[in-house]
Amino acid sequence: MIVCVAVVGHQNNPLYIQSFTEADDALKLHHIVHCSLDVVDERVNNPKKSGPMLNETFLGLLYPIENYKVYGYLTNTKVKFILVTTDLDVKDADVRNFFRRFHSAYVDAVSNPFHVPGKKITSRTFAERVSTIVKSFGFSSVA
Amino acid sequence: MDPARTPLGQMLLEEITPVVMVLSTPSVEEACLKNGLSFLQMLTPFCSFNNIDVPVRTASDQPYRIHKFKLRLFYGSGVRKPDLKVAEEQLKQVITDSGEKVFSELCTDVPEINHELASSEDRNTPSWFQFFNKELVRVASFSDHEAFDHPVACLLAVSSKDEQPINRFVDLFNTNKLPSLLNDGTMDPKISKHYLLVHDNQDGPTESRASKILTEMRSTFGTSDCLMLCINSSPDAPIKHQVNPWASQISDTSPNQDLDCFLNIDDINEIKDLMQDLTSKHIIPNMEQKIRVLNQQVSATRKGFKNQIKNLWWRKGKEDGADSLNGPTYNFNSIESQIRVLGDYAFMLRDYELALSNYRLISTDYKIDKAWKRYAGVQEMMGLTYFMLDQSRKEAEYCMENAFNTYLKLGSLGQQNATRCGLWWTEMLKARDLYKEAATVYFRICGEDILHSAVMLEQASYCYLLSKPSMSRKYGFHLVLSGEQYKKCDQIKHAIRTYRCALSVFRGTTWSYINDHVHFHIGQWYASLGMYDVAVKHMTEILACSHQSKTTQELFLGDFLQIVEKTGRTFEVTKLQLPVINISSLKIIFEDHRTFGSPSAVNTKEGLWHSLEEEMIPSFTAAKANWLELQSKLIPKKLSQSNVCVAGEAVKVNIEFRNPLQITVPVSGVTLICKYSTSTEELTSNENELSLKTDNEVDHFRDMSSGNSSFLVSEVDFSLGGGETTMVQLSVTPKAVGTLEILGVRWKLSGAIVGFHNFELSHPKKNIVKGRRKPKHPPNEKFKFMVIKSIPKIQGSIHSLPRKAYAGDLRQLMLELRNPSEFPVKNLKMKISHPRFLIIGSQENAKLEFPGCLTKNIDSVQSVTHANPNIMSDTVFSFPVDTSVQGETPLLWPLWFRAAVPGDISLYMSIYYEVADISSVIRYRTLRLHYNVQVLPSLDVSFQISPSRLRIQDFLVRLDVVNKTSSESFQVYQLSSIGHHWEISLLQPPDAIFPSQTLMAGQAISCFFTLKKSRRLPTLEYNISTTHDRSDDVLLVPQCSQDLVYNTNNVPLVNFHHYERLQQKVSLENLGDLNTVDFVLISRPLNSTINHGLSDSPHVMSHHSCHLSTSSTGPISWLVDGPQTLHHDFSASFCEINLKMHLYNSSGVTVFVRIDTSDFDGSGGHLNSVNAVQSATPDNPAGWHDVTPVNELKVTSNALETQPGKALSLESVSPYIWSGSSSTNLHLEPMSSAEVPLQICVFSPGTYDLSNYVLNWNLLGDSDEMSKPSGKCQGYKYYLTVLQST
Repeated sequence: MIVCVAVVGHQNNPLYIQSFTEADDALKLHHIVHCSLDVVDERVNNPKKSGPMLNETFLGLLYPIENYKVYGYLTNTKVKFILVTTDLDVKDADVRNFFRRFHSAYVDAVSNPFHVPGKKITSRTFAERVSTIVKSFGFSSVA
Repeated sequence: MDPARTPLGQMLLEEITPVVMVLSTPSVEEACLKNGLSFLQMLTPFCSFNNIDVPVRTASDQPYRIHKFKLRLFYGSGVRKPDLKVAEEQLKQVITDSGEKVFSELCTDVPEINHELASSEDRNTPSWFQFFNKELVRVASFSDHEAFDHPVACLLAVSSKDEQPINRFVDLFNTNKLPSLLNDGTMDPKISKHYLLVHDNQDGPTESRASKILTEMRSTFGTSDCLMLCINSSPDAPIKHQVNPWASQISDTSPNQDLDCFLNIDDINEIKDLMQDLTSKHIIPNMEQKIRVLNQQVSATRKGFKNQIKNLWWRKGKEDGADSLNGPTYNFNSIESQIRVLGDYAFMLRDYELALSNYRLISTDYKIDKAWKRYAGVQEMMGLTYFMLDQSRKEAEYCMENAFNTYLKLGSLGQQNATRCGLWWTEMLKARDLYKEAATVYFRICGEDILHSAVMLEQASYCYLLSKPSMSRKYGFHLVLSGEQYKKCDQIKHAIRTYRCALSVFRGTTWSYINDHVHFHIGQWYASLGMYDVAVKHMTEILACSHQSKTTQELFLGDFLQIVEKTGRTFEVTKLQLPVINISSLKIIFEDHRTFGSPSAVNTKEGLWHSLEEEMIPSFTAAKANWLELQSKLIPKKLSQSNVCVAGEAVKVNIEFRNPLQITVPVSGVTLICKYSTSTEELTSNENELSLKTDNEVDHFRDMSSGNSSFLVSEVDFSLGGGETTMVQLSVTPKAVGTLEILGVRWKLSGAIVGFHNFELSHPKKNIVKGRRKPKHPPNEKFKFMVIKSIPKIQGSIHSLPRKAYAGDLRQLMLELRNPSEFPVKNLKMKISHPRFLIIGSQENAKLEFPGCLTKNIDSVQSVTHANPNIMSDTVFSFPVDTSVQGETPLLWPLWFRAAVPGDISLYMSIYYEVADISSVIRYRTLRLHYNVQVLPSLDVSFQISPSRLRIQDFLVRLDVVNKTSSESFQVYQLSSIGHHWEISLLQPPDAIFPSQTLMAGQAISCFFTLKKSRRLPTLEYNISTTHDRSDDVLLVPQCSQDLVYNTNNVPLVNFHHYERLQQKVSLENLGDLNTVDFVLISRPLNSTINHGLSDSPHVMSHHSCHLSTSSTGPISWLVDGPQTLHHDFSASFCEINLKMHLYNSSGVTVFVRIDTSDFDGSGGHLNSVNAVQSATPDNPAGWHDVTPVNELKVTSNALETQPGKALSLESVSPYIWSGSSSTNLHLEPMSSAEVPLQICVFSPGTYDLSNYVLNWNLLGDSDEMSKPSGKCQGYKYYLTVLQST
């Protein structure tokens, strides 16, 4: 199950954080997302792999903590998408697919002329779209 | 890097050293206590040797030298596993103490993160971390599975005072007093013993008794093992040593007192020599000896292929037997223990190769035996040995991890060892700059003990900071985690410290949840420590938490207020975030020479006023004098930058307060903070002082606002609901001449905390539009005012100006001006922005009764003449010189208002006046009034003029009126043509047009008039004539008497018409005034209707249409004159019909006209047939007539040309022939007419359209050939019916 998704701007400012748990753990998830930025930075600044991985937006598993797994995705405008999940066996393809859809939702949201770049995403449509994407996570490869 | 130089290396060199067990008699201790030391403490400082040079030869034949060495001394009672409880307490104490210490240092400043990064190397690991770690390592000492804590020697000390010293020596090493570890066989009880006789010199000289005992000892125990130590040689006075070697020992027990020492230099040197001798001559050789012996044993039993096979076989057999958690127990003389001892001895003597080989050997054995603890211990040592050898880093780490995991698997048994192992592991990783990995290891060390894990987490966080690239976010996160743990075990000070460090990471980021959490907890914890000031400081950071849920907001605010309450005073904070001040909304309104009649006037752009007032305000020497230059001439240059305000007149500040929370916040006592000084010099001198003590300003402000009587400050209270925004107007009224500066705003939140907002300091660059002037001076001047003595200020208003009006509404209004001050004003002038809507009347108008004054009566003649001069005065209206406004009686001046066009109209008026008092800084002022009028559409009036076909120079006028209102009914009353060269008359009687006399909402009517040129000689100035017998007014209401005809040449109407003309000016001008006609339609609302929001019902409404052109066909008009119907006997001959064409030139120049006639089959007819094909369907029934829809709104200027000859495009009709000249040319003089004869021949009876001719005209008057206007007119329809005569 996806616990939290987040969009973080290129100055590492949170643009959108949504948790999908009932528990009041917003702070914890904020911390997790915030910490994962360190790993994103690390991945970006010294990429170990080169060649085909150089232009890859999907950063893969950032780090496992406690009972979560954190995945990252970096757009070419240095906007980061973070996914926190409790699933222990996650297929990379699923995550990739999720991020691709998430990215397009994000692009649509920021294309709104009323959206101020660098400000938090407040679009309700975006939130709805994200929650549908989150709900369908994991089923896409089956379907 | 030399492994020995790393922190871990040094730690190992210090911690894994031979242990010497010390056994002493009470009298020895007694002697030592004279110095405040125990015997052990006395010896300890001299047990580490930094520059000895001892050759060591272990298993190999190659000797090497040891330069540094250390012994660890323990009392016999200390040689046991440390008590966990005691150790815990001790550790806790360490943490608490360091907490107090660090906290007091920290209170002063929060480290900046950059600073921290720079100096992180030394400050990241506070000294107490090292100490704590050492203590943790010590907790795991004297474990039965390790051998390096086994005593290698025993030092027995007996005092010379003791009775029977020899027996005492024997007693000391009595088995039942020895530590259990030695007795139960874990440690080898056969250790080398050294006998020390301690002699206190204060008891007497050495020679007598002590030397006797020594000789006795030597004979009993052997010479080499007996030593004597003389102490307390200093006779009476204690000696103070420059360098206290016991400082580190003593600090634990009695930190503050000076060591009164009876030990003199000789004594100390003696101790030093004693210990060095003991080490180099006895302990190290002993160890070498033992290593060699053990090594031989091990080689004999375990080395070599045969032994290995044997060993394996033997162990296999044993495997099933003991399977306890610890594996089998090994006593000291088992081969496994001996291998371990060998390894540890080799390690301590730094023969790491030897150590490693033995560890490896034993490790597999333990593994096979499932002696996990021992296995882990060996693995741990292997890792350390690898590290010290600085080879195979991977191997070292693998060993450490293996050891760590194995210890962890043991559960609580291995917890301490796991911690120790982890600490060593982290040190190892740190030594190799693998900080990130070290951090994860620290994270793993965190056990069940909360306090330990707090410390470990904190250390982990520092590792993240130190890793390259530094991971500051993880640093922050782990600090927060660690702080949480500290909090759980009541180490509040540590918790605060970690949170504050974490703050440096999160500060300035937009991660508001985290920020809030950190600030909130710091605030709470400070509050729990009773440090409310700091607590409040942190709590204020989280007040504007709009992103939090409502309950959180309530929690935050509640806690905050509670803390504030606990401080016991009204707290004052310079940057209170609640409510939020929208600084961009800050607007200062002050009146210098500009005064404002209403707030809306203030909000109008300065440029608009400026352009309005341009002509009124006096310009001084320079032609381009503007406001600023004007001021600089009048006031001292130094002050030219500051603003001017008048004593007694309020300076207002508009500021917006916003409540970001979802809960209601009461705000009270909102006032401006002002500073007043009587002279300008004082202010400038105070300024430096002021900027210096910004922190103290709080008190300063309070004094200012309460005690000072030189200005008055308004106070506002309000309550802000959740998410509300309120605009508050605050004012300060200076009472005396001087300088006034607005510093900021203060308010009280929930009656408990006072917030300040300093306008300048916090926002040096902001976007305020002050007094509607673009600020040109430096920002801190914007809030500074020069207060000048009071001067008159006129207040003005317009009475009964409607907020809403229907278009065309005409009213008389009254302008009222008051001057409450006793100073006179003079030279009043006024200007109005929209003369189309508002014109200035004359004093006489005030007496007139409205709307009666508009009608024609006898008196009106005078007013007409009077009115004329005013018409052109669209510039500045000057009040008569004798006008005075003073005291109670207001000046009333009439104004005429007419709602010209629908829409929202802003009317601006500016009244200029001069101050009679010459000495004043301000010589003149302007009063600016601003009114908004909403004009609703009422009647839509349009005219269409077409030439009459009956008489030349006569025109048919169609008037279309549509009532555009939703509910109002109007009476269309009167139509007048302006100017005197047109006469207008109704075609039908008014009854026929308006049976009901009203025009209901949405209703439309049209009526027709004939318009003709007045017979009088036309003059170019239309407004001169005043004759009465003209017929340019037509009443559309039947029964009214002539009295009530509105005079359109009277004062307001004619003026408004003038502006309407200017407004409606079109490009038709070049045709001259004479061919255009202006109409005024006057209508009246019916009184019976209900008014919707109109302040009072309109009386008269006028609608003006100007520049309606009559000359739609060019400068010429013509008329074809002939019979309509005639009878002819076609059997006799064809019919010849004579026609006459009347031509009239209405322009001012000569026109050349050519009349071309064409037949149907000619070129002209062809044109028509094309049109016919295009627009008519082929099977048109004969006689079908195309009715052009009534175009009610627009007068089509080319009405004739748009009517193609399709009405009678009857192919069946036999053509007629123009039988006269096919082309006629003639010149027409200006304003003259001519007659041209025309003739047609008709061959059969029928109806003929005689429009088959073209008039070409050229204006000849102008000599300029190029710009000669010319045109072409198609003939109009003229139907002629010829019938067969019988």
